Amino acid sequence: MIVINRRAVLALSIAAILPDRSAWGQEKRIAIVDWAMLETALAIGIVPVAATELLQFRSIAVEPHVPESVADLGLRGTPNFEMLRMAAPDIILSSNFYEYRRASLEKVAPVFSMTVYEPGTPPYGLAEKVALGLGDKLGRREEAAAYVAETSALILDLRMRLKYHATRPLFIINIGDARHFRAFGADSMFGDVAGRLGFTNAWGQESSYSAAAPVGMEALAGVPEASILIVGPVPPEAENLLPQSGLWNALPAVKAGRVATLDPINHFGGLPAARRFARLFASSSLFSGSASND
Amino acid sequence: MIEPKALNRGLLLWGALLIVAASLFAGQIAAQFSLATRAAPEFAGLQKLILMDSILPRSAMAILCGAALGFSGALLQRVLRNPLAEPSTLGISAGAQLAMAIAMLYFPALMEGGREAVALAGGLIAVALILSLTWQRGLEPVSVVLAGMMVSLTATAASAALILANGEYMFSLFIWGGGSLAQQSWVPVSGIIWKILLACAASIVLLRPLSILGLDDASAKNLGVALQGTRFLVIGLAVWLATSVTAEVGIIGFVGLAAPALARLTGARSPRQMLAAAPLVGAILLWLADGFVQLAAGSGGERIPTGAATALLGGPLLLWLLPRLRMFEWPSLNAKPAPSPRARRPAWTVAVLVILTGLAAGIALVLGRGPEGWVIARGELLADLLPWRWPRTVIAAASGAMLAAAGQVMQRVTANPLASPEILGVGTGAGVGIAVPLMLLSAPSQIVLLAGAMAGSIIVLAFMLAMSARSGFGPERLLLSGIAMGALCSAILTAIIATGSPQAFMLLGWVSGSTAERLPEEVCVALVALVLLVLPLVFTTRWLDMLPLGRPVGLETGLPIRMSRGILIILSACLTAVASLFVGPLSFVGLIAPHLARLIGLHRPLTGLIGAMLIGACLMVLSDWLARMVAFPYQLPLGLFASLISGPYLIWLLSKGGRN
Repeated sequence: MIVINRRAVLALSIAAILPDRSAWGQEKRIAIVDWAMLETALAIGIVPVAATELLQFRSIAVEPHVPESVADLGLRGTPNFEMLRMAAPDIILSSNFYEYRRASLEKVAPVFSMTVYEPGTPPYGLAEKVALGLGDKLGRREEAAAYVAETSALILDLRMRLKYHATRPLFIINIGDARHFRAFGADSMFGDVAGRLGFTNAWGQESSYSAAAPVGMEALAGVPEASILIVGPVPPEAENLLPQSGLWNALPAVKAGRVATLDPINHFGGLPAARRFARLFASSSLFSGSASND
Repeated sequence: MIEPKALNRGLLLWGALLIVAASLFAGQIAAQFSLATRAAPEFAGLQKLILMDSILPRSAMAILCGAALGFSGALLQRVLRNPLAEPSTLGISAGAQLAMAIAMLYFPALMEGGREAVALAGGLIAVALILSLTWQRGLEPVSVVLAGMMVSLTATAASAALILANGEYMFSLFIWGGGSLAQQSWVPVSGIIWKILLACAASIVLLRPLSILGLDDASAKNLGVALQGTRFLVIGLAVWLATSVTAEVGIIGFVGLAAPALARLTGARSPRQMLAAAPLVGAILLWLADGFVQLAAGSGGERIPTGAATALLGGPLLLWLLPRLRMFEWPSLNAKPAPSPRARRPAWTVAVLVILTGLAAGIALVLGRGPEGWVIARGELLADLLPWRWPRTVIAAASGAMLAAAGQVMQRVTANPLASPEILGVGTGAGVGIAVPLMLLSAPSQIVLLAGAMAGSIIVLAFMLAMSARSGFGPERLLLSGIAMGALCSAILTAIIATGSPQAFMLLGWVSGSTAERLPEEVCVALVALVLLVLPLVFTTRWLDMLPLGRPVGLETGLPIRMSRGILIILSACLTAVASLFVGPLSFVGLIAPHLARLIGLHRPLTGLIGAMLIGACLMVLSDWLARMVAFPYQLPLGLFASLISGPYLIWLLSKGGRN
């Protein structure tokens, strides 16, 4: 009883800072630890009271838009439990990446966790399940089903449109510095979506997305006929140095202008990231005729 | 002076390693040639370009950077008369990295053209700081290395905190921190080459005054102004070489330390021989390490960064060589820190420490930030926040106390003022012990992790001390092998973190040191461990008093030396294991706290132990609070703040101690 009273008092004091829940037509106060869950929740019309690392989310994941009212819980690696407590959520959305933290999270509120990434499994199917599962759990079943259907329709539509362009394999990379990149393989969201759009992934391995093992640029010469798709953000230093590199300029894709740079997308996102990738990719300079290589 | 047999054996060893490195290189070239011949004609040119502009310059870069680091290390060790001096122990690499991190975040324009100048400025500031702090003490080696490690740690902590607070934590941090030699043109190679040539030419000019500098302290102290100038010139030269390497390829640790040490161990004696051999050894080491890195790399990219690989290769090599070669003379470190006053009323000093610790805990529990700014929590709010705050505060205090106790015991048992869980590699050993169950079991419990941590740290500490006992290690060799062991263990951790799996994610959190979410059960574990492990220490203060005096005194007084050492070692290893399970390996409280206790006059074993534990607890609680508050709601790693607090304080006290 005491705990409930205390929470009620706290919720009242927080209400002054955080938005009135009725304004969003929601029954539950929701806090979100995982970014893929955050994206998906926002996409099916759920506005959380608090979520992690919003500064970075707004600049890297970009969409869906996070309302200013959402409180920042700090780094994903070490969420701020005091802030989480003060947000007084009814439920916390988490993922398998944060499963080891479940006991601590459960001290604040019940935890709803789903698998968003699993080694060796193409993530698009998992992301669909996450959207449907979230919709089920949070009473947005129809919105979730509609979002899943819309997304696959969008991808199907883009696949038709790009049918005659999907002739070459594709490197999907993120630039680390002027000499290194990370590659997205078929087990990444971008790789999976590119496959669904009809493109072969030039990176035959699984994603080399580990932190410490960046790949040297020369590896891009391994599949000379491939095009190169750079997913932002690109470090400013690399942006200036890369065009001066002899090897970079000698890559067939660079010579022929088969290189495009996309705006930042969440590297470990859910369906919204998949959708953003598909849309940016389809409208990239690879298919606009006037391909440029910077 | 020169022992032909040792020299010959040394030449044989390095010749063999050189052949291995060269065959690895030949293998790469052959593989690339076969690619070029198999490629479609329109792409054959590209494959040749990769051979010419990537594979060849990468090998050249490995050789040149290794040589530059070896040369830089040899110059520094010579001119400072300090066998532990090298670009990373003197904070040069870390200073360069911090300068580059600041420039990248706040002055990106500076990084485009002036990358090297920025790195050089950072390195020079670090060295200038260390030298000016220890100048009063005549650049005494122990003080220089101590100040150097603190500057280095503080700078590393600061740049990591900068990168963390700005979000882009993984990638850039690891490319720099790990060191990568990948190349796509010859420009960096030609940049390094003329620097090395210039440094060689300068060193020939400076060789004569250098050989005078190598003389004993008494004659070196009477050096004229001109010679002091030469000394600084040589240091500047070494800094320039090291920071150029850092600016180009990131931090390649260990080569600067290992190359001169290995050159000396395998027969080089005179300054001339050292200056010729150290760069060669460094070049072979780095070339070999990079060859293995590329061999181990699948088509999916390199599995471990080259900087970690040098430690994986050089660490065991150094550990293996150290006890085997006893004939060489090692310049003796004056391992005694400056005398400090004795407290007239130790009980009062301890009482003040108790009050300070209580005060720190009170602040940590009550004062905090909320969505609307600073809040002094009272009543309902306090009751609601306490379940989060008290476990982490208690854990921080207990871990600080445990690390301090472990440091105190290690410093006494080894009679070495620099021994500490961090420096002897015991903390990172615990990390490897944690990593094993994490990788093998799907969801290991806290108890299993604790057992792993204990096993790891006991094995490391027992290994270090067994080696030192077998070969009559002086304090220098123990430190050197400790640094080698620490580098080896962190290389293993880096390699595991590089896999990017969820376990790696957990390990990364552990390495940066987080007390964030602690359950009451864990607090119980920590407190029980604290009591169980510290109580026996209280009853063994006589051992702590006697052991530093050495074997003869110990035997005369009837001390069971072997058993007492064994028990103390196990106790201190367990203390380290429990503490580092909770706060990570990166605190340096275990080094600092016993020093601070001595510097405020608590010299007796018992008051020293209690004082050190209180100081450790106080430092850790404050670090934890700062880590929560500085970038609220973003929590920064506790280990970073612990070193940010302890570093400058120790340096300040060291330089003050010199003037007394």
